Amino acid sequence: MRFIRKRPYILFILPGFILYTAFVIYPLFSAMSISLYEWTGIGPKKFVGLANFVTLFFNPRISEMFWNALKNNFFYVLAELGIIMPLQILLAYLIFLRIKGYRIFQTLIFLPCVISTAVIGFFIMIVFDPNFGILNSLLKSIGLGQFQSGWFGDPDLAFPLFIVVATWVGIGYGMMLFIANLKGIPEQIIEASIIDGAGGVQRFFRVILPQLWPSLTNIIVLDTIWGLTIFDIPFIIGGPQGGVNNSLDFMNIFFYRYAFGNSYGGETAMGFGASISVVLFGLVLIVSIIQIKFLRNIRVEY
Amino acid sequence: MAEGKNVFVITKRERRIRLVYSIFLSLYCSIVVFLIFITFLGSFKTKSDLVRNTLGFPREFTLDSYKTLIFEDNFLRIFLNSTILTVLSIAGIVFISSLTAYGLSRFKFKYADTLQTYFLLGLMFPIQLGILPIFIMMRKLNMINNLFGMVLLYSANMSFPVFIFSVFFRTLPYALYEAAKVDGAGEFTIYFRIMLPLSKPVIATIALLSTITVWNDFYLPLVFLTKDNLRTVTLGVYRYMSNFLANWHLIFSAASLSLIPIIILFGFFSRNIISGITSGSLKQ
Repeated sequence: MRFIRKRPYILFILPGFILYTAFVIYPLFSAMSISLYEWTGIGPKKFVGLANFVTLFFNPRISEMFWNALKNNFFYVLAELGIIMPLQILLAYLIFLRIKGYRIFQTLIFLPCVISTAVIGFFIMIVFDPNFGILNSLLKSIGLGQFQSGWFGDPDLAFPLFIVVATWVGIGYGMMLFIANLKGIPEQIIEASIIDGAGGVQRFFRVILPQLWPSLTNIIVLDTIWGLTIFDIPFIIGGPQGGVNNSLDFMNIFFYRYAFGNSYGGETAMGFGASISVVLFGLVLIVSIIQIKFLRNIRVEY
Repeated sequence: MAEGKNVFVITKRERRIRLVYSIFLSLYCSIVVFLIFITFLGSFKTKSDLVRNTLGFPREFTLDSYKTLIFEDNFLRIFLNSTILTVLSIAGIVFISSLTAYGLSRFKFKYADTLQTYFLLGLMFPIQLGILPIFIMMRKLNMINNLFGMVLLYSANMSFPVFIFSVFFRTLPYALYEAAKVDGAGEFTIYFRIMLPLSKPVIATIALLSTITVWNDFYLPLVFLTKDNLRTVTLGVYRYMSNFLANWHLIFSAASLSLIPIIILFGFFSRNIISGITSGSLKQ
């Protein structure tokens, strides 16, 4: 008792520490041990060593799904960093410049970020559904019926369309972070650039962009982690099977199919599912390690 | 930068370019307004009206689909589930993360910094990565299909709130704590009577952000709430969509019910929501 009375912080931290460790940290490691077993989730576990990983990487049918899902994740991350992020910076800069209507733009561009993914899925349906969707009926009514399409039902179109939708949904979040960063740039720096007579575009690249590096590194990490673990929207559009011809299959959906679905001869395959999540964890860990510096940087200010 | 003051000198050409951007963004922003608008409008149409006339005004205003939702599909219960889940989770999140953050930031001890970093790890590893062991644990605890179990999970995901609370507690003057100490107040009295009342603005921010997260969450309810009578509103919308031909009209009203609380919150507090989200990630 005296030990604790001298260290009152223990009583403050302990409940949170236990809860957080049990439900956030421990599961990450526990998944590794489960991945070494063959286990349907009920009944006895059978130790199989690395067999689940061998299946994942080398079984012809399954490894094809695995690489396909990983490829989709990879291209999604690429799109986030190569398309969405530059757009976020552009929008943030426009709003920072207070172009006409910037307040309303800021609010409305951000709005999809607070709408539930299920409702976003519903929006996608009313726009893109081949039979009832707005887009096809619009095309028909203006005489462009030949451009009607299955949209998300078309395996070649589904992924690019998903990128468009993901941009629309997620663009506001990073934009807000960039705006906050822009507002923190010291006024003298901007004033100096005006005295130098730098034009708008030049000013942006020479003066503004270098100042955005701190939030840029944060957003690159966040985007990569989100990109690797994306689930909701492709799942809602494409279902647990990952869309037509697996065009909307991602690692987390692939995982869900085996861990909670019945893709394994009608049963859940928790051992095998765990091996998928371990690979995913490994990828996120690599990204995090690269950014250890970033983690150190966000330590609380004193 | 001072509010309302624009330090940029704008040339005529630049002004024209900005106008083009403004026009383009107006069109872009009208998409979200339009989608929300036709969702609400559609929820007042009859099924046949909706199929033939998706975009136009209702031929006759009707509450039929809401009635079906409430009287046949038990949607009041579903709405109540989401509400209970959200309210209890906010209470849990605010309580446990403020307590933890206070312990981490008020007291000086050897591993305080390490622990602070430890509590940040959750920002790096989304809950999906450990969902399988969590599922197994929850099953052992008999907390599948149990709203309290969900509250536990939402509260455990405390990295962001702990971080925000820690930043805040460090700004409170130490003298305040010492004065109370001299008066003979115990640690928990100081925390509950002095520190918590002072943190109302932070509590409000965390509560606001958590409301949106929990109300909108799709993944955890999908995995842990499989019983029909425990569905949340987002799951309700999703279930209708998986058989949308039969439920075409019901989705509009279910989606509306899911949107209304969020639109209201966003309408009143969009600035607080935005500043809350950005406050965490820019402290360098």
